[in-house]
Amino acid sequence: MQINEQVIREIILQVLQGMEQPKPTTNTATAAATGRPMTLVEKGEARPGTRADEVVIALAPAFGKYQNKTIVNIPHSDVLREMIAGIEEEGLTARVIRVLRTSDVAFDAHDGTKLSGSGIAIGIQSRGTTVIHQKDLPPLSNLELFSQSPLLDLPAYRAIGRNAAKYAKGESPVPVPTKNDQMARPKFQAKAAVLHIKETEHVIQGAKPVEIEVKFN
Amino acid sequence: MAIVAGVDIGNSTTEVCLAAMESAKVTKFYTSSIVKTTGIKGTLANIPGIVIALEEALKKAGMTMADLSEIRLNEATPVIGDLAMETITETIITESTMIGHNPSTPGGVGLGVGQTVSFSQLESLTSGEKVICVIPENIDFEDAARVLNQALARGIDLQGVIVRQDDAVLIANRLQKIIPVVDEVTMIEKVPIGMLAAVEVAEPGQTIRTLSNPYGIATVFELSAGDTKMVVPIARALIGNRSAVVVRTPQGDVKARTIPAGFITIFGSKGKADIDVESGAGKIMETVERVQPVLDVQGEAGTHVSGMLERVRQVMSELTEQHLDDMKIQDILAVDTFVPQKVQGGLAGEFALENAVALAAMVKTSRLPMEQIANQLRSNLGVKVVIAGVEANMAIRGALTTPGTDKPLAILDMGGGSTDAAIITRDERVLSIHLAGAGDMVTMLINSELGLNDFDLAEDIKKYPLAKVESLYHIRLEDGTVRFYEQHLPPQVFSRVVILKDGEMVPIPSSHPLDKIRHVRREAKKRVFVTNAIRSLSRVAPTGNIRHIEFVVLVGGSAMDFEVGDMVTDALAEYSIVCGRGNIRGSEGSRNAVATGLVLSYLDREA
Repeated sequence: MQINEQVIREIILQVLQGMEQPKPTTNTATAAATGRPMTLVEKGEARPGTRADEVVIALAPAFGKYQNKTIVNIPHSDVLREMIAGIEEEGLTARVIRVLRTSDVAFDAHDGTKLSGSGIAIGIQSRGTTVIHQKDLPPLSNLELFSQSPLLDLPAYRAIGRNAAKYAKGESPVPVPTKNDQMARPKFQAKAAVLHIKETEHVIQGAKPVEIEVKFN
Repeated sequence: MAIVAGVDIGNSTTEVCLAAMESAKVTKFYTSSIVKTTGIKGTLANIPGIVIALEEALKKAGMTMADLSEIRLNEATPVIGDLAMETITETIITESTMIGHNPSTPGGVGLGVGQTVSFSQLESLTSGEKVICVIPENIDFEDAARVLNQALARGIDLQGVIVRQDDAVLIANRLQKIIPVVDEVTMIEKVPIGMLAAVEVAEPGQTIRTLSNPYGIATVFELSAGDTKMVVPIARALIGNRSAVVVRTPQGDVKARTIPAGFITIFGSKGKADIDVESGAGKIMETVERVQPVLDVQGEAGTHVSGMLERVRQVMSELTEQHLDDMKIQDILAVDTFVPQKVQGGLAGEFALENAVALAAMVKTSRLPMEQIANQLRSNLGVKVVIAGVEANMAIRGALTTPGTDKPLAILDMGGGSTDAAIITRDERVLSIHLAGAGDMVTMLINSELGLNDFDLAEDIKKYPLAKVESLYHIRLEDGTVRFYEQHLPPQVFSRVVILKDGEMVPIPSSHPLDKIRHVRREAKKRVFVTNAIRSLSRVAPTGNIRHIEFVVLVGGSAMDFEVGDMVTDALAEYSIVCGRGNIRGSEGSRNAVATGLVLSYLDREA
């Protein structure tokens, strides 16, 4: 336990140092994120969908805008692309929105379900935490939750998109296998907290969700 | 006044009936109770279960152990059954001739025929060639689609695509031409390159037409009549698929092979007979009927069947402390079934439903060590314990308390391990028989046919009806009716097929639709219970003709099942037999027949 605490202290120190010099951090961030280039065009307030064959992807306030990679440096553009591909492979369409009023992944996804024609939405935070949600559930419940963001890779995001689409079709998908790593928590807790704080900075109280058009160049 | 408790130790449950007696008359039936049998029936391990059941019944009646004047145990039928399954066919694909794994989402639609080429070769091809492109792992769908579109633009006649990753729809959506795309081919590196191949994808909700038809394959590959004969197994293996790939290689073939499963020898009073297990359940049962009554059954040494039969003997011999050679198998029930098995040589982890034979065997010995149980119980509780009589006689006595019944009467006791039948004639003669195969066999069939690998889940599927959770506020039941809920259902059952178990919902973790699970369940029950009902009743019928039995009462655990009773009633109606679930003492349903019979037998002793 002592060793763990010490490790955490060191990580926090490192992160704090990183925060003191914001410029180099952002620079390395852009350098590390070498995904397919993507542009997110904001198209005004998102309206409730009527198509039963759509799955909403609800982005947290900073996703792809103020932050561009997950906690393990997977570019946001690739993450989004894989989720959309997973939905498309099942024959459905993805609609992307951004939720501004909260950075909590459960409420973010639940706001998405209310706009989704199928009642199914995927919520995702900038650090990579993801949840598949359904409109009739209470916000803090879920269909599938992927809480250990450091363990999510691109195939996992594809599978999340695929499963969300299968729920929308009324099929019974096998839940996406989730990895578990006891070390993920001590190793990434500080970083996750910092990323969440940075996400929450962009929350606008009472703001309506925004429709987003995604273009991969 | 005497307080008498009848205790029936069954394979799965121990039942108690408590009554007050006075001068050759039952003054009052107090209570009854039912608990799970502890240990194997007929062993000292049963005692804790008996004590719990007794205490439960006494408590309900507001009495204590001291009030009991006598405990009556049944002479439990020394019957034990076991089950085995033998796969008798297998499918082998040679030289990677076929991909028939039915991915959930193939792309495009239509039939394409051409030479197989690898993705990297595509750029070196000249225009006009008819090709089918094979895309390996780690190629992004957009890159793949771009290269394929460029090839199309150069005039290459791209006919179809075979993909490693789950990308078929993504690629098909990005192509300028609608062509069939088959994906999730795990062993894509084994697809032969430079061979003539055909790819077919049907519209959603339909199945392929050309490649599942031998003449279709003959047309595509311009085969002779002789060669067409050879492709029949390929076509047969692809029936019902939405997508398929067939590659024409010089030696390629698909074989449906029969695995030698060994033979069993049935010794009967009318002679002995050998029968191959692979000839199927029908033939085995025919042989059993020909030589019945069965005296013993032996399997060919070194085969699975022999191993299973030996195991049954072994268990029974240990239980009764009698010699292994004295253990004779008195009956077997064979049922045709199928097992999902991985296809050998398949490129995409294909499964084929292979034929199998399920066997239930039953051993009967002279007697179980009931005396030991009685002695032990006597010293533990300080109450008089009597072993009262043969199970079948007691069951008939109990069954006769069902309103509307009279002698002559037949009972059908469908339990977990065996199906028993007994008949009482007008002159009080009782004839009984025990046959192999009952509830446990149904569970085994459900488990293997659905590929569950979970015996407890199969047991639940057997016992309870199904429903599909369509939204978090409503479910659709088996018969198509809808039930709504005020409160939302738990998220883990969303969109799943569930078992409605005592007001609780248990999700079934498989992709089988509700109809399929229901069909498997009902068929398994029919094949075991209806077959055994007819088999056992025709053996106890005094004239040997089942039509001469008039009344049949169903008792035992499996008769409580929500559909078995109706199935048997329906099947026996054909023989103009009045058959229905018993209602012991007019209140207990089909349970408690033996325990009630035991209490009633107290009167005989007085008289």
